[in-house]
Amino acid sequence: MILRAAVGAVYVFLLVPMVVVVVAAFNSGTFFTFPPQGFSLRWFANFFARREFMQALRLSTELALWTAVLSTLAGTLAAIALVRGRFRGRDAVNAFVTSPLLLPQILTGVALLQFFTLVRLHQTYWALLIGHVVVTTPYVVRTVTATLTHFDLALEEAAQSLGAHPVRAFLEVTLGVIKPGVVAGAIFAFAISFDNFTLSLFLTSSRLTPLPIELFAYLKYSFDPTAAAVSAVAIGVALVVVLGIARVLGLEEFTGF
Amino acid sequence: MRARARLLLLLPFTALLGVFFAAPLLLMVAISVSRQSFGELQWTFTLHHYARFFSDAYYIGVLWDTLVLGAIVTVASLLLGYPLAYHLARTRSRWKPFLLVAVLSPLLVGIVIRCYGWMILLADRGLINATLVERGWLAKPLPLMYNRFGVAVALVHVFLPFMVLSLTGVLKRIDPHALEAAMTLGASPRRAFLEVTLPLSLPGILAGSLLVFSLAISSFVVPVLLGGFKVQVLPMIVYEQVLSVFDWPFGAANAFVLLVISIALIAVYIRVTERALRGIV
Repeated sequence: MILRAAVGAVYVFLLVPMVVVVVAAFNSGTFFTFPPQGFSLRWFANFFARREFMQALRLSTELALWTAVLSTLAGTLAAIALVRGRFRGRDAVNAFVTSPLLLPQILTGVALLQFFTLVRLHQTYWALLIGHVVVTTPYVVRTVTATLTHFDLALEEAAQSLGAHPVRAFLEVTLGVIKPGVVAGAIFAFAISFDNFTLSLFLTSSRLTPLPIELFAYLKYSFDPTAAAVSAVAIGVALVVVLGIARVLGLEEFTGF
Repeated sequence: MRARARLLLLLPFTALLGVFFAAPLLLMVAISVSRQSFGELQWTFTLHHYARFFSDAYYIGVLWDTLVLGAIVTVASLLLGYPLAYHLARTRSRWKPFLLVAVLSPLLVGIVIRCYGWMILLADRGLINATLVERGWLAKPLPLMYNRFGVAVALVHVFLPFMVLSLTGVLKRIDPHALEAAMTLGASPRRAFLEVTLPLSLPGILAGSLLVFSLAISSFVVPVLLGGFKVQVLPMIVYEQVLSVFDWPFGAANAFVLLVISIALIAVYIRVTERALRGIV
C-alpha cells in the first residue's frame, strides 16, 4: 500500500512539469494559477507570429532530418561490422563508437567549438550538423546492435546457398530483420537532435539558432507563456516519437525490459 | 565477414569520430596547457591554468559545490527511483506500457522545456506559490527557485529516468523465488528485502548512481535556469570562460578537470555494468 502510494507520487513528479507546460500554453492568463483562468490560443498565435521562433523551428526540423539520415547510415554500417564476427580490438572499437554517449556534452561542445574555430568552420551549418551526427549516431549503433544480436546468421547463409548474391542476401534478409532497429535509431536520432541544447549552445550563432536555444534565450528575459506554446509543440513531437518507437519496436524490447 | 568489408563498414563513423570527436578533445587538452596573449593562442607548454584553478578558493569552492549537488541529486534519485523500479520490474499490470511511457517520455522532452515546467511551478509567482498565497495559506512566497533546492529538484527530474532504467534491469533478473524462500524460512518481508533483494540489486544501484552523478555534475542548463546564477557549478565556469571571457586555455583546463572526473566515473561504470551483465555480483 505504502509502496503503491510512493510509486504513484513519483509518477506524478515525473509527469507534472510537462502537464503544467501544456496547460499553461492553453491558459489565457500571463501567470499560471490553479484553477486555470480560461482557454486561449493567443500564446500559440504569438509563437507562430514571431519570426525568430518560426526560423528556429524550421532550422531544428531540417537539422534533425539531416542528422537522422546521416547518423542512421553511419550507425547501421558500424553496428553490422561490430556484431558480425569477432575480431581483435572489437571491444575497443565498440567503446570508441559509443563514447560520445558517455562523455558530458558540455565537454564535446567546448572541444568542438575550439576545433571548428581553428579550422574556420565555426558557426556554420556544417559544424552544427557534424556535431549532431557525432552525438546521435551512438544511439543508432545501439538500437541496430540490439536487433542484430538476435539475428540468426544461418538465415543469410541459407539465402546465399539458395543462389542469392551476398549483397542481395544481405539486402533482402538481413535488412528486413534489422529494420525495426534502423527505424527506431532514425527516430531516436531525430528526437535527440531536435531537442539538443548543450551541444548546439556552443555551435550556434545569432543567424543559426535551433529551437531549444531560441527558447532558452527567450526564457532568460521573459516569462510569458509563449515559451509554453513552443514547448507544447515540441512535446507533441516527442509524443509522436515515443508512439513511433512503440509501434515499430515495442517499448519493452527497446528498453531491454 | 572479411576484414576489408568490416573496415569499409566501420570507416565512415570511426573516421568521423576520429576527426570530429577524438581530435577536438585532444586539441582541448593541448589548449589547456598553452598560453594565450591578446586573444592569440601560443603553443608553449604551461601548467599555469591548472595552478590557477587549484590555488583559488573560489574555483575549489565551485568544484566542491558541484560535487555536493551531484551527491544530493544522486541520493534523491535513488530514493525516488528504487520504489518505482521495483514496482515496474514486478508489475503484471495491463497498464505497464503506459507506465513505461511515463518513465521514458521525460527523456524525449527537451531539457529546456522540463526546466521551464519547473520554473512555472516553483517561481515566486509560480503555480505553487501563487496558489498558496492567493488562498491566504501563506503570507509571502516560499523560496523554491533560484537556489540549490530548485536546481536539485529539476536535476532529479531530468536524471531520474536513467536511475530507474539502471535499477529495473537488475531488479528484473532477481529470481522471485529467492525472496519467497527467505520468507518461507521465517524472514519478515522487511528482512527478506534487506537481506536478499537489496544486496542483489547493488550493481544496479551502483551503475545508476554513477550515471546520475556524472550527468548531474556536468549539467549546465538546469543550474542556469533554476539557479539564476546564484548557484555556481563547474560547467557554468567552463561556459563563461570559453564564451564570455574568451579565456580559452583556462576554460579548457576547467573542462579537463570535469573530463578527468567523468572518465574516472565512466571507467567504474563500465566495470560495474559488465560485471552485472556477466552475473558476477
